[in-house]
Amino acid sequence: MKMIIGGAYQGKIGCAVRLFGKSEENMVNGNVCDFEEVFTADCIKSYHKMIARLIAQGVDPVQFTKRLCETNKDVLVIMDEIGCGIVPLVKAERVRREAVGRCGCLIAAASDTVIRVICGIPDYIKGGPDEG
Amino acid sequence: MITLVTGGTKCGKSSYAEKILDSFTGQKYYIATMNPVGDDAEAIIARHVQMRCGKNYVTVERFRDIGETDIPKGSGVLLECVGNLCANEMFVGMEILHPADKIVTGIKQLSEKTAELVIVTNEVGSDGNDYTPDTMAYIRQMAFINRRIAEFADNVVECVYGIPLLRKGKLI
Repeated sequence: MKMIIGGAYQGKIGCAVRLFGKSEENMVNGNVCDFEEVFTADCIKSYHKMIARLIAQGVDPVQFTKRLCETNKDVLVIMDEIGCGIVPLVKAERVRREAVGRCGCLIAAASDTVIRVICGIPDYIKGGPDEG
Repeated sequence: MITLVTGGTKCGKSSYAEKILDSFTGQKYYIATMNPVGDDAEAIIARHVQMRCGKNYVTVERFRDIGETDIPKGSGVLLECVGNLCANEMFVGMEILHPADKIVTGIKQLSEKTAELVIVTNEVGSDGNDYTPDTMAYIRQMAFINRRIAEFADNVVECVYGIPLLRKGKLI
């Protein structure tokens, strides 16, 4: 498993294309895809959006993400970092934000490579360019 | 040794902080700054209590005046977290105070009594939202406190989705 994280619009998808030869058209989009698609996907983008959709449908995102880590070990997951701000006043927003944090920790733990992108520049925070 | 652990929500800060103190053989204290009011607080506290279960911490609740915490010299301390401490010191009744200097001084005083001090704080300034002046003041106070603690801390670590990133000193 591999993971690319970072703030919104930092160039995460570009890094997936450049570093891992992925094509954006073939990426499963967490914002709109069928939930089951992620288990066979080669690359998932906007997984943080998927977490919000899972919660809205009453699916436990942590259990779902565990299943993803166990069943799709070769997938590249792209998701935003969203937790570095003020705790939201609305409870549903707090729940969503915390779920993204927990799921991100699970994916990072299961990944051999984690890249954090800022200003389009990839920073290998787990593993390296020559590993995995 | 003083270690500052920072990061966003649910990024593995507490786990990393506890890992530092796992090898500490003296008496360990967990200084809890969260005022246990509301469902969220109870859930968070229950989760953290479970995480520390069996690790021999004495829990001390300290919502304000961190420098006056009564612990023996040479203790191991996990202070969690600066975000709550700052909110507790800042929003008192209708008043809005600016407690950054008091908190930094208090943590320094605390560090004089500790052999191993691990301070958990929060990154609150990176969501790009505009908030009310009071909340913006809180973000500013937190940033000031974090910068000042980082100056005298031996180690500064940022946790990102469970991965500890070294910002100063050493990782464990």
